[in-house]
Amino acid sequence: MTQLILYNTFNGLIIGAFYVLMALGLSLILNLSGVINFAHGGFLAVGGYLAYTLAPYIGFWGALVVGPALTACLGIAIERGLIRRLYGRDPLYSLLLTFGLAFIFEDMTRAIWGAQGLPFTPPSFLTQPISLDFFFVTYYRLFMMAVVGIVVLGLFLFLRYTRLGVRIRAGTLDLETVSALGVNVRALRTMNFAVGIFLAGLAGVLAGGNLSLEPTMGANVLMPSFVAIIVGGVGSLPGTMFGGLLIGVASGLTTVWFPSASEAVIYVIMAIVLLVRPRGLMGEEGIMS
Amino acid sequence: MSLLEVNNVTKTFGSLVAVRNVSLAVEPGELRAVIGPNGAGKTTFFNLISGLFAPTEGSISFAGQDITDLVPHRRVALGMARTFQITEIFPELSIAENVRIGVEVASGYRLRAWLRRAEDKAIRDRVEEILSLTNLTGKADRIVGELSHGDQRAAEISMALTLKPRILLLDEPTAGMGDQETYEVTSLIRRLHRDQGYTIVLIEHDMRVVFNLADLIMVLDQGTVLAQGTPREIGANEAVQAAYLGKAA
Amino acid sequence: MKLRLDIAAIWLVLLTAPFWLPLVHGYEALGTRVLVLGLAAMSLNFLLGFTGVLSFGHAAYFGLGAYGAGLALKLLAPSTPLAIVLGMLLGIVAGAALGALIVRRRGVYFAMCTIAFGQVFYFVAFRWNALTGGDDGLRGFTRQPIDLGIASIDILNNLTAFYYFVLFCFAIAVGIMAFLLRSPFGRTLLAIRENERRARFLGIPVEQHIWISFVISCAFMSMAGTLYALLNNFADPKGLHYTQSGDFVIMAVLGGMRSFWGPLLGAAVFVVLQDYLSSVTTNWQSLIGLMFVVVVLFFPRGLLGFLQRKSQA
Repeated sequence: MTQLILYNTFNGLIIGAFYVLMALGLSLILNLSGVINFAHGGFLAVGGYLAYTLAPYIGFWGALVVGPALTACLGIAIERGLIRRLYGRDPLYSLLLTFGLAFIFEDMTRAIWGAQGLPFTPPSFLTQPISLDFFFVTYYRLFMMAVVGIVVLGLFLFLRYTRLGVRIRAGTLDLETVSALGVNVRALRTMNFAVGIFLAGLAGVLAGGNLSLEPTMGANVLMPSFVAIIVGGVGSLPGTMFGGLLIGVASGLTTVWFPSASEAVIYVIMAIVLLVRPRGLMGEEGIMS
Repeated sequence: MSLLEVNNVTKTFGSLVAVRNVSLAVEPGELRAVIGPNGAGKTTFFNLISGLFAPTEGSISFAGQDITDLVPHRRVALGMARTFQITEIFPELSIAENVRIGVEVASGYRLRAWLRRAEDKAIRDRVEEILSLTNLTGKADRIVGELSHGDQRAAEISMALTLKPRILLLDEPTAGMGDQETYEVTSLIRRLHRDQGYTIVLIEHDMRVVFNLADLIMVLDQGTVLAQGTPREIGANEAVQAAYLGKAA
Repeated sequence: MKLRLDIAAIWLVLLTAPFWLPLVHGYEALGTRVLVLGLAAMSLNFLLGFTGVLSFGHAAYFGLGAYGAGLALKLLAPSTPLAIVLGMLLGIVAGAALGALIVRRRGVYFAMCTIAFGQVFYFVAFRWNALTGGDDGLRGFTRQPIDLGIASIDILNNLTAFYYFVLFCFAIAVGIMAFLLRSPFGRTLLAIRENERRARFLGIPVEQHIWISFVISCAFMSMAGTLYALLNNFADPKGLHYTQSGDFVIMAVLGGMRSFWGPLLGAAVFVVLQDYLSSVTTNWQSLIGLMFVVVVLFFPRGLLGFLQRKSQA
């Protein structure tokens, strides 16, 4: 029993880590540009597949970096060509546009790489379990957690200490003032979008190594990522991170006792949070209304 | 007892003190002006009175009731109506529809799915009455969003009047207007005050407007009360002149 | 007077559909589907276009109606009207409860909450195999003839009769919505759409009115769901999924969300297009996605809004 609980908690943490990467990117874009990016899951899948295609040429490690970077480039192109036109308009339109893009992404990945799951195998030394008692703790999974941890830490340092990061944070709070200070808001939003998409692409590569690549892999983590943002508190990145881990673990633990409710439980958590603390666990007052 | 009593209110946003320890008492039938240079805290002060947010410290009472923590629509029900610096109207509807919605809500019909013939007639009459008071009868069927700034302001004031308010709060009613429009809006306010007996508190930036209209003037500067008095007293007050000229220079 | 003529024309087209549909290579079930999805899009638009509140999770209430009606027929009693009433009740209760939770949120955040909450019902239907049939959907029920006392109408085998039955339900729902929008209450919804702050300062408790509008919208949405289940004799978990919500929103926007009838037109175009595309290409999903992009970029006011502009210019 203890091992079952440990096993599912660990699984929950892994899944939670994916939610964190997804939700942080979504949050960045939502906070600065007011866009709910429905295509975020599509970007995740594209990141994974690109890495899969590149790996035979540049190896796992190269693909781990280049895959997400190319995905971010695709993100920049889409932001500049399409999404940018909708800033300042009713959020309905950016929602619908990215929703349509999500359809296109899913269909195109299926057309290019096929509907069947593809294996994306990390280097063999990473796939060993660390011990027989804890067969589920492979080096790869620990490696994944480490990567997510480092990237999240890097993101927070980037937002706090680099000029671009500080501007992104300031723009989230008061875009008008930032614009009045002479910051190029258009470029700022593009860069911010690229950072968000890079995180999605990275999640795609890591997820591909953990399970396998499927066209719908991104869509499946999209909803929980929304929940993570709402639970953590819209506008708060630490909240988003905490929310992601919380619902990941909660979902994992529910699997132990009541497997068929493992998806529904995160929405129950969201309902409770909205009821008890409408702005989310770490959300700031007023930002959601 | 005064109709509106504001007692030592303070409002802070983070480390910024927008309004510091301001008090105000308005008697029925009075026209009170609140003036001050940009950033003096006038609009914040108004938002505290109308309930857009609650004061950090101090209390507000209206018609003998403590309203410090009341939400806006409850204050409206007590008889408090306001207009905004940037006109707040229903832009895609006609003037008559704008005013009609106000009249229906004020008549307690907001949840009604239908009206009796007599009720409908009473509402139409009331809409007409208000529009003739604000000189908008001829434009009743025009879409508000397509009208001039001055007419939009008159429409917004008409909507405030639907509530038969015991007090009317006007936030810079002539902001951004030319001389002609300013004159029209000013004379509308004067009519409401002198002929209809409305109690009015208005914020103004334009000193000329205020000196012609107000019974009493309160001057705010950097969130605190700089002076209070009749237009004549305020005109002669050196501190006020310094504040205004200092900002202008 | 022009407006009345428009509406008369719409009803004429709907009343005669079983006669002219075969002439344009249509079939009755397609007509019924347009009507049902049109009702769904119009119900959503009661909230979206006439209250100014964006729900992106309305498929949940559509699906609840479908499952409610199916389960009522399967487990309770072989009565079509009862199935419709119970399906609607399920949608109304769920809408009232969730609406109360999220009614204070605004704009994108409201949308995000509606999307996320909508998924709960999807997972319930997907996972609760014993009751809902899980991934395979709910089967094992059929719509029942309508017993009028003196005669019984066979809506099961006679598809034309079923079309008129659906049209009858559609007319009631649409009639009530149109009536409400012309009432003092309906005008407060327009007021909220136009300017929430002004509405508040006229003394309208905005949250309460949005909540009522949300529940009304959910009621007719679930009614459409019950009719959809009766049409197919089947309830599909995909009908609860958020992608279905997106379809409803695009129908409303495509037709023109500022007009009462626009969403019906949008539904007709969407259904016919989807039907056609999925029969000619395997990549129809991309083309539907592309349609979303094109509508957003080039026809944000929808087909009716676009035609109005053209006729004014």
